[in-house]
Amino acid sequence: MKKLIFIFSVLLLFSCKKEKKITYQLNDVTIENNSANKDHLKSTIEFISIAYSDIFGTVVSTNKLAELSQIYKAFGDKKLIEQMVIKNFLNEPSTQIPQIDRSSTSTINSFVQNVYTKLYNRTPDEYELWFISNMIENDTDLTSELIYFSLMTANEYRYY
Amino acid sequence: MKRRKFIRNLGLGTAATIGVPYLLPSGRLFAASGVRKANHVVFCLFAGGVRNLESVHKNDGNLMPYTLKGTEGISSDIISGINFVPPNTGITLQEQGTLYKEFRMKYGPTGHYGAHATAMTGVYTGENLNINANPQYPTIFELYRKHNSPSMSAKNAWWISNSLGAYAHLNYSTYEGYGPDFGANYIQPASIISQEGFDNLGNSRIYNNTEEEKITALRGFCDAHFSSQYNGAANSITNTEEDKVEIEAFINQCFIEAAAGQFNDPWGIGGGLYNNDMQTVNFAEKIIQEYKPELLVVNMQDVDIAHSNFTLYANNIQKADYALAHLWNTIQNTPGMAEDTILIAMPEHGRNQDGNGLYDGYGREALDHTNDDYSREIFSLILGPSGIVVQDQVFSQEKGESIDIVPTIANILGFDNDLPGGLLNGNILTESFY
Repeated sequence: MKKLIFIFSVLLLFSCKKEKKITYQLNDVTIENNSANKDHLKSTIEFISIAYSDIFGTVVSTNKLAELSQIYKAFGDKKLIEQMVIKNFLNEPSTQIPQIDRSSTSTINSFVQNVYTKLYNRTPDEYELWFISNMIENDTDLTSELIYFSLMTANEYRYY
Repeated sequence: MKRRKFIRNLGLGTAATIGVPYLLPSGRLFAASGVRKANHVVFCLFAGGVRNLESVHKNDGNLMPYTLKGTEGISSDIISGINFVPPNTGITLQEQGTLYKEFRMKYGPTGHYGAHATAMTGVYTGENLNINANPQYPTIFELYRKHNSPSMSAKNAWWISNSLGAYAHLNYSTYEGYGPDFGANYIQPASIISQEGFDNLGNSRIYNNTEEEKITALRGFCDAHFSSQYNGAANSITNTEEDKVEIEAFINQCFIEAAAGQFNDPWGIGGGLYNNDMQTVNFAEKIIQEYKPELLVVNMQDVDIAHSNFTLYANNIQKADYALAHLWNTIQNTPGMAEDTILIAMPEHGRNQDGNGLYDGYGREALDHTNDDYSREIFSLILGPSGIVVQDQVFSQEKGESIDIVPTIANILGFDNDLPGGLLNGNILTESFY
């Protein structure tokens, strides 16, 4: 009898407890089709002026703009000539491209946010922020110049 | 073998012969339906407006001694205004092909762009032509890239123009179902291979392979995240990524050569002789040597000085003649192009019978081109291998129109039967070929 009472007591002590109700919450994130608000193709002059300003932090001169516009028109593959123009911009000593502060995730995120704001005139969505920040964290050779060049030669940069 | 099995095997063999593409010794794959006369066509628009009186009729002597037979002397009143290129000591171009002395641009305004569009689309333009837009009908480049089998990349189709303006539009049309996806690589060398071009493109940041991989990955992510509207729908032809790298390297190499002075006198005739036509043809020759394109169109324009100066017009005709012969010589000395290329030359239109009231220092009256009969009279020359193109043949009576060039090129490259019916009204110049 004593044994039975002991077993019953043990079972009573370790029997199922009522499960606590836990509610997980997610922060809202913005993931959207980024072309939705950009369906205007930049003109040649707009593209060159904006690209120059984004890289040098100053306004392109009239002469330089005229020269670049003529070169742009003289070449059929516009994407290729855009890449060549930007590569030449990036090889100038007076570029004003910020360096990446890799001291923390926060500073890297901040760099990515600033790049998106400057080049695409919008903030990155959470996926873009994570993807590019993750690339930067995992690759110390991924420079700000490479990021600028990549984003400036991507399709979105051609639109506003 | 049983009779039924024999017949079945015979049928299969015949079907395979008809239906399966075959490889030529060159390794190029052809669809069985397209029999080519040659694997390369170069179309040189001897343009700017050349009147038959000064070209094939030799009213002021033989201003085209590299193209035309004859030793007629240059008119004495203008001879001192001619800056002569070296004399021709070899065989003329007309002896190496078929010359149409009385070709015609029968309809449409005899303006440069409209006549270029006619020559490159095979369709006459109307009075409502928009010179700020791409042509309405498919260009020869689009017809080639869409209907040739197998389809070829843009690196096989080039449009090299003397000047900018509307000519940049001629590498593709607005015609539904065609457009930039089938267009040609366009370049106007005078703007690219220049001091301004070098200043803005000649100091390029070079990325190594590892850096290029990072760029490709990051750009690819951005493009995937952005619904791409750029390729095809926008205002550009598109090369493959591999071809882009090649073309960029080629342009950079041209800058190096230009900086070393190699563009100053590339033909060894004295730097002072070159005009923009000759420099443009020189660049076309570099494209030919580098890429051996299946289709290349190049134009000259410097004879258009005739609007203000007749003698300089005559001077530039003999320079264009020299440039055309040099182009043909380069083709014949380029492995892969030699003996496998047909060169077609034609002015886009002529010039008026009557002068415009402006006189040059030699007392000659300048000429416009405003739709009179003389401005519709042109010549055409088709050069090619002796077994393919009829040699030393001349048509002195009216024969052929400027809309015939596009169907003729399509026939040479073997895709004329694949073109949609009703698109072209011109005829193949069959009498030029064996």
